Amino acid sequence: MFKLRYSVIYLSLIAGIILMILPLPESVKTYRPDWVALILIYWSMALPNRVGLLAAFIAGILVDVSQGTLLGQHALALVIIIFINQNFYQRIRVLSLVQQALYVFLLLFINQIVTVWVEGFLGRPTPFHAFLGAPVIGMLIWPWVFVTLRDIRRKAHLS
Amino acid sequence: MNQLRSQSRGTTVQAVLLAIVSIVLMFVDQRFNHLEVVRSNISVALTPLRYLVSLPAHTGNWASEWFTSFRDLVNENSNLKANSRILNARLQKMQVLQAENTRLRNLLGSSAKVADEVIVAELLSVDQNPYRQLIEINKGTLDGVEIGQAVIDAYGVMGQVIHVNQHTSTTILISDPEHAIPVQFIRNGMRSVAFGNGSSDQLELRYLPATADIRVNDELVTSGLGGRFPADYPVATVVAINEDLIHGFVSVLVKPQARLDSSREVLIIKPRNSPSPR
Repeated sequence: MFKLRYSVIYLSLIAGIILMILPLPESVKTYRPDWVALILIYWSMALPNRVGLLAAFIAGILVDVSQGTLLGQHALALVIIIFINQNFYQRIRVLSLVQQALYVFLLLFINQIVTVWVEGFLGRPTPFHAFLGAPVIGMLIWPWVFVTLRDIRRKAHLS
Repeated sequence: MNQLRSQSRGTTVQAVLLAIVSIVLMFVDQRFNHLEVVRSNISVALTPLRYLVSLPAHTGNWASEWFTSFRDLVNENSNLKANSRILNARLQKMQVLQAENTRLRNLLGSSAKVADEVIVAELLSVDQNPYRQLIEINKGTLDGVEIGQAVIDAYGVMGQVIHVNQHTSTTILISDPEHAIPVQFIRNGMRSVAFGNGSSDQLELRYLPATADIRVNDELVTSGLGGRFPADYPVATVVAINEDLIHGFVSVLVKPQARLDSSREVLIIKPRNSPSPR
């Protein structure tokens, strides 16, 4: 029973991966928020002892495989932002949702920068709107992600 | 407090280690092929997710087929019958032509050209990375798919297989910016290479001499050079010719024949055991 409760975390991350490979029209594809990053940020804020750097790394590798990107590209970005989050979550947890969203934007932005740099190294430049679009959308949906995952966490009696 | 500090040092070390691991992974993945096994194993584990994602589309198709009204079916049936009559008539002609062709080939002393063996596969998912043009299909090593096999649809060449798992495989489309396919003009036999440029309705022939004899609507087929793609499959038609008079080159934009963004059924061509000399 103890183990089963924590499976909620893995299920939510798998849902995130599904949301990231769900087909979208070409025109809105670049605005797809990094769901896995959002979900990881939530869990590492709520259960920092459960979800940490290793979880971020593994989730990143799974995203890399499912998206056909370079193995380690998303892993690196996620490890970096979760590391930053681990140093700040205690101060961020007490803020309002709107303030949190700004902080999440920063994290997503750093995540995006790392990914784009790697793409740049491979010689695939990224258009500007693609650069900022996804973090902005991620910031806008953060309150919903937060509330949904919090309700799920409470239902599963995780604390 | 001390304990807290040492704990935070622990996570720092862990973070640095994991970051280094990811960077090494990226380097190895970029330069060598060792990680192919890892990738394909993880990908097998992710296969159920891909099925899950393509489920709505499949269900939609299934439902729309199921609920097609009776009259539609009757209409479709009569249309299909008519079509098949026409096709049969053409086929008879084809057979005669084929027989004639074999006879002529025999006369010339070259080996008869056998039809290629194919594996029928269905599209599972389209890669969502905006910088690549990859598709996932539902046949893998267990069905005889191998890396490098050509993939076509009903209209022309789509791409080639680059990763294979047990039940699925990944195909790079000819429109991927990292893909190039050797082609030949049907009209005058001129050879060239068509590069993908990332958009699914365009390929590019670069650095052709300005004097080359190219017209809009010229058709391109695979030339079979390079040994990857079998010869004589349709690839694209010319849509625009851009002259770069300063450098004395022309670059030609061509439109792929294959419906790269809408075909759901694809064929994987199994190469014959001994590639026939051309």
